[in-house]
Amino acid sequence: MDLQNIAYTFAQLFHNFGSVTVVGGSICALASYRTGAVSRGLTWIVLIGWGIQALSGSAFGAISYFHYGKFPDIKGIALVALGVKILCSTIGFTFAASQLFVNFSIKSNRRIGFLQCGIGILALSSAAVLRWFS
Amino acid sequence: MYSLSILRLALIVFFSSLAMANQAKIEISSPLDKAKIDIKKESQLIYNLTLGNGADHAHAYIDSKEIAILRKMKGSYTLAPMLPGAHVICIKMVNKNHTPIGVDRCISVTVE
Repeated sequence: MDLQNIAYTFAQLFHNFGSVTVVGGSICALASYRTGAVSRGLTWIVLIGWGIQALSGSAFGAISYFHYGKFPDIKGIALVALGVKILCSTIGFTFAASQLFVNFSIKSNRRIGFLQCGIGILALSSAAVLRWFS
Repeated sequence: MYSLSILRLALIVFFSSLAMANQAKIEISSPLDKAKIDIKKESQLIYNLTLGNGADHAHAYIDSKEIAILRKMKGSYTLAPMLPGAHVICIKMVNKNHTPIGVDRCISVTVE
């Protein structure tokens, strides 16, 4: 069995579960805001999810660099999609962290929750574009 | 003793399979290296790929700019009109993650 494929498989595994955590967690968190309470537990899950996304996404490039001394050769639409994913992770992580450590009103938290859902869905959609346009 | 024999057999099979694994190879049959291309005529990049060394497909380039992703092992690709002058056409083998694996074939052409 090829070690390189095993490494890519693990990166993909974490990346897939990261996606589920980010989108699913954001939707559940949004649902919890309707009751008025801000679920810190769910926000932590979303924050960790974004962290996993960033780390596992970087792992794809790192594995390529480790094996061949080069990063994946992607261009055009695929590169834009990758940029969107990186931006989504950065914004999503920042929003989740700010929800945990800044005392926002319930209304603001709900707005951020909507944004989190949108960013998660955008990141997931960009993944599809990256997959099929590269 | 029995388990050592099994281990030895497993190692032989493993290393034999490594030795027998295909070496990635790229052949470009058209245009030929150092060929002159008529600017008015449409030209085809005709290639033949052999997978191996972790290669999954290939990327084609003109002057280091990616022009196509080649997934067929044998085929052709219509080259877009190029400016007059010397150009380098390359095909590079890449893995499933689109990383060049170090196997490539480049030809030089002159468009007139």
